[in-house]
Amino acid sequence: MDGLFMQVLEGAFALPVVLYTTVGVFLGITVGAIPGLSGDMAIALLLPLIYKVSPAAALGMLMGIYKGSMFGGSISAISFGVPGTAAAAATVEDGYPAKLKGYPMQAMLTALYSSVTGDLLSTLLLVFVAVPMAKVALHFGPVEFFALYVFALMMISLLVVGEMKKGIAAAAIGLFIGTIGMDPMMGSVRLSFGISSLRGGIPLIPLLVGVFAVSELMIQFGRECASRSAKKVAEDAKKAEDLGIYDPAKDRMSLKIYRSTFKATLIGSGMGTFIGALPGAGSSLAAFMSYGLARKMSRKPEEFGTGTLEGVAAPEAGNSATAGASLIPLFAFGIPGSATAALFGAALIMQGINPGPMMIEENKVIIYTLFVIIIYATFINLVLSHGLIPLYAKLAQIKACYLVPTVFALALLGTFASRNSLFDVWVLLAAGVLGIYLRKNDFPLGPLVLGFIVGPGAEKALRQALLMGRGEWMFLLKSPIALGFYGLCILSLLLIHFSVKKKLVEED
Amino acid sequence: MLTKRTILLGAAVMLAVLSFGTLAFATEFPKAKQIRMVVPYGAGGGVDISTRILATPAQDILGQRIDVVCMPGAGGQEGINFVLQQPKDGYTLLVTDYGPLVTTALTEEVTYDLSDWVPLVQITEVVPTFFVLAESPLKNVDDWVKAAKEKPESLTVAHGRHLSVPHLPLILFEKTAGIKNTHVPTSGGSEALAFVLGKKVDIGASVPSTIASTVKAGTMHPLAVCSLERVATLPDTPTMKELGYDVVLPAWYTVFAPKGVPEETLKILEEKFIEALKSEGAKEMAGKSNVLLTPYGRDKTVGLYEGTISSLKTILADVKK
Repeated sequence: MDGLFMQVLEGAFALPVVLYTTVGVFLGITVGAIPGLSGDMAIALLLPLIYKVSPAAALGMLMGIYKGSMFGGSISAISFGVPGTAAAAATVEDGYPAKLKGYPMQAMLTALYSSVTGDLLSTLLLVFVAVPMAKVALHFGPVEFFALYVFALMMISLLVVGEMKKGIAAAAIGLFIGTIGMDPMMGSVRLSFGISSLRGGIPLIPLLVGVFAVSELMIQFGRECASRSAKKVAEDAKKAEDLGIYDPAKDRMSLKIYRSTFKATLIGSGMGTFIGALPGAGSSLAAFMSYGLARKMSRKPEEFGTGTLEGVAAPEAGNSATAGASLIPLFAFGIPGSATAALFGAALIMQGINPGPMMIEENKVIIYTLFVIIIYATFINLVLSHGLIPLYAKLAQIKACYLVPTVFALALLGTFASRNSLFDVWVLLAAGVLGIYLRKNDFPLGPLVLGFIVGPGAEKALRQALLMGRGEWMFLLKSPIALGFYGLCILSLLLIHFSVKKKLVEED
Repeated sequence: MLTKRTILLGAAVMLAVLSFGTLAFATEFPKAKQIRMVVPYGAGGGVDISTRILATPAQDILGQRIDVVCMPGAGGQEGINFVLQQPKDGYTLLVTDYGPLVTTALTEEVTYDLSDWVPLVQITEVVPTFFVLAESPLKNVDDWVKAAKEKPESLTVAHGRHLSVPHLPLILFEKTAGIKNTHVPTSGGSEALAFVLGKKVDIGASVPSTIASTVKAGTMHPLAVCSLERVATLPDTPTMKELGYDVVLPAWYTVFAPKGVPEETLKILEEKFIEALKSEGAKEMAGKSNVLLTPYGRDKTVGLYEGTISSLKTILADVKK
């Protein structure tokens, strides 16, 4: 046991390993911060490296990229209102208003600390309870997944700031867009209008980056152009006066702030770990559901959407918690919980490590080394980000006329590079136009993304469940877990109903 | 200022640059530019890994850079169409299993004919495998057939996407054995494995690499494999053929060139790729990744390609009804 301990420490803290991990974290943060580029892409591009360096170094680097990118997405979400990764889309809701109100540093540091907390918690869970947790995850079959997705769609109502009917409409649009392409069961192509590129459906990243980022960029650019008129210049000057000049002394992070957002962080960590461990659910879903739940359980729900730090902490903890958690089913059964976990699994396979129940037994040294690396990578992330945030914050203050085209070009490039597909770029632009229309008419974007993500999964789960139940709809209720979720839905409906009623009564 | 001098200078530069292009054209293969091997699947998947095992040693042997490009768009059709649109000079190749190339062509409208492709070298093959939980009451294929005959459609089989590599042999097996089961399509081998592990379905269909770890741990029991001979990683699992069912449908991962590439270029590619697959480097990477290399040349791959097309036509004819 002693020998094992020493071997693991030697392996994990060897200089090349630490170096590669640090490089990975730096790459991850940078790639995550650029809209259109994602951590997955960087990992995929670096896969060939696996054959060339030691397993610990290679895996350390990939882990570093993964963790870095989970936080990196929030940097541009907060600084420019443009999510750097799909998972950061929920962070924009409160992150960007926070920056506009004059405390971007607090927002980014909150995002960092809650990311790190969520990451650490789910990693500890991975290291210590992977197998039992995975066993729980196995109880989720189509019936349970469908119930979960129904609950997730219900969460949309919790996410809506403003008119609920617009939120539901946005979700419906998202669901609709999600049906384009091959159906999950029989592979028949729907709504493609004969265009072969639509056969595979609308890809998530271009849609998300387009709807959030491109639309935001186009609007900001429009503002720049409009502000060239003298009248606009005067208006803006007045607005700036009202807001006050940015005061860095007032924009500091403190333990008090961390404590005040701790509840939101915990909610996000819990939600993120849970969703991350379920194969197929995804970090974006985790981020949105964390946001929704934190808002529901917050003492000041009306502040969500205006720049409250709770609204930054929850989704960031949520999406970072999926990092460790999505490896749980991979380590326990060889089933990747996300696309990133799948890439990670490929990296393990290329090193001769077969992910699954025997993996830990057969590869004790390398796996324990990996656990140690995963944990300290989180701290490298913390330290590096601390150093990089002021740099990126300064970047955010570059004039929009330089910043917007650059970010736009990077987003275009990143989107193309992801799947080597020009079609993705067209989707990006079309989604941008859609995003502008939705924004101008006060439709919330979050529900659209949620509808798009949840729709295909829900359809697949429903149809699988009906197949297994031989067409009997009652089969959907034959599971305590599913009943639990449906119960939560009914509860949420009742809560909303009574709170609306209360509001109406108060208004009288 | 657009003077006569500027125009003449511009024309001279243009001609000079264009002549470089012509030079490239006349250069011996593969010296002109880098080679691209297009994979119609996402990065990190089986075909991607196998292609890298070939591409890495092949780069040194051919003396030219080889880029592995993953183009999963439109269910793989984007990658396939991309290769078709490039000049047929042997610098852009396709590496795939029969799914996006053959199955799609036989079930939907595509932009090519199956005869537009020249199979070159096979890298490896994956074998569809049926499996159950170790504690399942079904101990072998005969138990499965018996249970299915007693109560048709009572058993659920999870198998990955509709008409995928593990699904087609299932259809063929049911036809051969005269039984009916309830098929549960999933998003892939991992989900099928999860459903069997979670006791949500009775039987699973996937490939050996997906179930390797759980089989070793003793939780999963493979019933049969659908290849001509037993699979090296599952030595105790009988083939369907041994058990009396003619279900042989392994999925090859083969390098294809589009029709129209000059014969000499094809010969060079075939020779060098086989050399690459037999190299120490390839063997080492394959060993690490648990990939069994099958360095078949055109003498075998052409026959296998045609054989797969006719098998698929038979199986799919029933499905279409």
